[in-house]
Amino acid sequence: MHTNSVTNEFNSSEKKYFDLRNIAWAIFVIASSLIAWNQYGSLMDYYEDTILAGATIGLIWLGMKWRSFQPAAIAVALLSLLAIYTYQMHGDHITANEQAFFLKYLVSSQSAIMWMNALFVLATITYFFALYQKSDFTGKVATSMVWTAAVFGLVGMMVRWRESYIINTDYGHIPVSSLYEVFILFVVITALIYLYYEQKYKTRTLGGFVMLVVSAAVGFILWYTFDKGANVIQPLVPALKSWWMKIHVPANFIGYGSFSIAAMVGLAYLISSKLAQKNPENGFVKRMPSLELMDDLMYKSISLGFAFFTIATVLGAMWAAEAWGGYWSWDPKETWALIVWLNYAAWLHIRMSKGWRGTPMAWWALIGLLVTTFAFLGVNMFLSGLHSYGEL
Amino acid sequence: MTQADISKNPTSNHKKNKVLVDFLGSMNLAVTLLVMLSIASVVGTVLKQDQTTQDYVIKFGPFWSEVFNSLGLFHVYGAAWFVLVLLFLLLSTSVCVTRNTPTFIKDMKQYNEKLSLNALKHQPNHATFDSESNLESEVQRAQNLLKHNGYKTKIHQRDDGSVTVAGLKGRWNRLGYFFTHISIIVICIGALLDSNLLLKYRELTGKLVPETRTVSLDKVPQTAWMGPENLSFRGTVNVPEGQKTDVLFLPYENGYLVQKLPFTVEVKDFRIEYYDTGMPKSFESDLILTAPDLDKPIEKTIAVNHPLYYKNYAIYQSSFGDGGSILNLKVHPLLSPVENAIDLKTAVNKTEPLKTPIGRFNVEINDFRLFNMVPATEAEKAETGKKFHNNGPSIIFKVRNEQGKAWEYDNYMMPNLQEGRWFFMTGVRTMNSEPFRYLFIPADANKEKTRFFKFLALINNPVETNKILTESFPKTDQITDKTYELQIRLMRQLLSLFRSKGFDGISEFVSKNVPKEEQEKVSDYYFSQTSFALQSLYLSVLKKEGRQIGHDQDISDFNKRWFEDALNAFNGLSRFGPPMYFELKSFKQIQSTGLQITKSPGKDVVYFGSAMLIIGVFFLFYMRQKRIWVHIQNKQSGDSTDNQSTEITVAGRDKKHLPETEIEFNALVDQIQQPVKQTD
Ligand code: HEM
Repeated sequence: MHTNSVTNEFNSSEKKYFDLRNIAWAIFVIASSLIAWNQYGSLMDYYEDTILAGATIGLIWLGMKWRSFQPAAIAVALLSLLAIYTYQMHGDHITANEQAFFLKYLVSSQSAIMWMNALFVLATITYFFALYQKSDFTGKVATSMVWTAAVFGLVGMMVRWRESYIINTDYGHIPVSSLYEVFILFVVITALIYLYYEQKYKTRTLGGFVMLVVSAAVGFILWYTFDKGANVIQPLVPALKSWWMKIHVPANFIGYGSFSIAAMVGLAYLISSKLAQKNPENGFVKRMPSLELMDDLMYKSISLGFAFFTIATVLGAMWAAEAWGGYWSWDPKETWALIVWLNYAAWLHIRMSKGWRGTPMAWWALIGLLVTTFAFLGVNMFLSGLHSYGEL
Repeated sequence: MTQADISKNPTSNHKKNKVLVDFLGSMNLAVTLLVMLSIASVVGTVLKQDQTTQDYVIKFGPFWSEVFNSLGLFHVYGAAWFVLVLLFLLLSTSVCVTRNTPTFIKDMKQYNEKLSLNALKHQPNHATFDSESNLESEVQRAQNLLKHNGYKTKIHQRDDGSVTVAGLKGRWNRLGYFFTHISIIVICIGALLDSNLLLKYRELTGKLVPETRTVSLDKVPQTAWMGPENLSFRGTVNVPEGQKTDVLFLPYENGYLVQKLPFTVEVKDFRIEYYDTGMPKSFESDLILTAPDLDKPIEKTIAVNHPLYYKNYAIYQSSFGDGGSILNLKVHPLLSPVENAIDLKTAVNKTEPLKTPIGRFNVEINDFRLFNMVPATEAEKAETGKKFHNNGPSIIFKVRNEQGKAWEYDNYMMPNLQEGRWFFMTGVRTMNSEPFRYLFIPADANKEKTRFFKFLALINNPVETNKILTESFPKTDQITDKTYELQIRLMRQLLSLFRSKGFDGISEFVSKNVPKEEQEKVSDYYFSQTSFALQSLYLSVLKKEGRQIGHDQDISDFNKRWFEDALNAFNGLSRFGPPMYFELKSFKQIQSTGLQITKSPGKDVVYFGSAMLIIGVFFLFYMRQKRIWVHIQNKQSGDSTDNQSTEITVAGRDKKHLPETEIEFNALVDQIQQPVKQTD
């Protein structure tokens, strides 16, 4: 029964925050930040110092709250260091990614991202297979694939960051500026948020559904890479050289990721409730989490998304004020962010005031994803404006 | 609690007001407004805003563009109904907050410890069980347990001797409600401060008339000027290097307003840096800001994302352009029989009248570009490692004839390497929407255009041509004087046809004037004659340069290629517009920087509201307000009270009823029950 599993979770939720492992984690994060600061501090300005400090605190908190994140983060750190070290051994020439074995097959940003793509697609299939097969083991395999994919994705981003400096110090920037780069950010963040919920609710049956969105995004990344060569590292246009970007974009993608998860849980909900109406004893229905749990999960991820989307929109306004001279210009991207935001605000209010649950909210969450996708992609494709950095 | 409860007796005024307030503060209205705003915003992004009327008529036809226009769909964000929806949202939120404040504050403060046992048993979660411990120790334990679980507690001693320990947790959730909803009001007020309501008001009362012409400042009437009374604005101004400004242009409807500034901005220097890809890397302006109340001028370099803040004002780097670069041009008449280029000293943004034998023209100098970056060829990339290649300075200008027809040109100053040869490029087009068609003028051995213009002048010169042709083709005895005369004349005519219409001109002439069956033969003959003639002229040019002596001597490869390239260029001249070539001899670049200057008193208000909003949202989502009551009473056995054992009722209420609510409640009940079991 689900209630049982959930009970266990909440009984054990009285975790000790300051046990040995967490303290070790905190020390590890602080030490890494200090090393980074020692290395690059002289090149960083006041804002970047603040961001580093904020990232340190954030990582410590995240690792304590979600322990499984710790080994993943360490793996990312080690693999990224391996890549950076290998580049260094090859005289910091970008061509090393074709020569050095490790880089060529594993940890150059391009290879790491390809591994990530492959693993996400495989994980999608494996999740559905596990659902079909009722196999716990297969489910676990799928979960580890998602973890590995996420690690590779993060490594890909870290190494890409370094590569941008290797190609030309002028080009150097954190890889959250082009449509290609943010798509990677999107799949990684969506996967991580999903993994968190998977662990919290102890159910792997939703994995396939969530990974559908991720796989679709992977499809886009592949098309964008092979058809448009979008993976080539380009320098930043002056408007994007802002420290606001470094927090605005990730906050946005926590929002997009959470909304996508809500939509996919909504999809699972709709299928499940439809089948249950026909036959409550349906095998699929029995394997899926309870409708109530899915409804709640939808609410929780929309809340999370809404909170971060609020932050992102505010940061975006502040950035706009600095770059374009006005915090709000009714530029299409801005306006669509507002539309997404208002849409979910309405969702939250209706749920509260009317007490609507289940089917209508699931439909709304699903349609919400269309709105979100348009804000994310459609605006760049169909509407022109000041946010023209991501044109296809 | 927020839904409109329709009052039962709507006759009294009081009740009517209540209905109104209920409606305004209802969540239904709120959601409706949110959805309306979204839809309006969608329209605003899908329909391109603030275009000219003609554009809309072309797109939607006269009928629909009129309908859309009257609905305000072309200026959605300034349309009356849109502002009305916003105001309603503001009103609705205010009413909502006002109405909820008393209850919510109470809710934050109160423990509801006085709820009757019966009421407790009607809470969403409740449980009752017996305990072997006495009342005092149970009270103590219940209080400790609740505190341990993060509840604040309050103990209530009832008249019947029973005790209720009431616990409350997460009351900041309510604070979250206040923060988010008040923040909406704050943000709207900030936005209102920054809106152009004052301008709208002045326009309605007729005191403000935007200027639509492009005229010098002193010709702009007073009705289009704004002074310090304008509390918020956002406008742009272009300032050439070395100059200063104390006005700003505010785009307004289909024209602009001139805003007087309380300070002067001088632009000392403007710089662009490029990446090796040719993309701009940074735009920077060195500014000096002087104001009457400043002891010392402020000097600062601004760049994109790094504005200069002064008091309420912010000065941004927003664009750049030419600030009137000084250009020394040489105008080559292309039909003249002698080389007589004239010098023209001008500057960007100037218009120069030109009187020529073929009519009057106006030359409008539009732009000067110091760099023209184009993708490098593979070979170049391999050689220099750079992905882009700089084609050097160019000027963009229009030549307009008396009828108003204009040709736009893009002339490069320096020769460019194309397939191993150097050419001066000049582009021409007659419509803005077309790309430039380029003519390639071959550079001579000194990388100059000298030979080209010499050659051209020679072709244009009938006397010289005649002389050279007779020298090159001396009369032989086989032909009569008359035939010889005719032959030379034919060559001259062919040359002039070629000169005015190119090779196509010759073909056209043949197809018009020669019987069909002879056309091929004749045109072959004509082309060979033209070619002979041109070669002869070319040889004479070479001879004058002192390079080539006789027919029989080998011509160097370079000179051969040059000849072919020159013919190509002549051929293209026929489609080059008015017969003039503008050569850029030298220049002094003066750039201008596009500054955006804003005064935005509402900005800090909006930021403050935004901070509140973010904090509030987190409180709302991540502080769950939960209440627990532990009611303990001595157990009744028969009609006497048993002081040793107690009956305990635990009740709970979670403001958000989540799946985990019940689980958490049961866990808490377990905790309260546990030691009781141990004593069993
Ligand atoms: C742009 C406008 C608004 C935004 C962004 C907004 C946002 C929110 C959010 C995020 C919540 C929390 C929902 C949850 O916990 O699931 C909330 C709750 C609420 N909102 Fe709004 N809201 C807005 C306008 C309004 C208006 C106009 C009203 C008046 C009817 C209103 C009444 C409420 C009420 C009563 C609650 C419940 C508070 C509680 O019981 O905790 N909101 N709002």
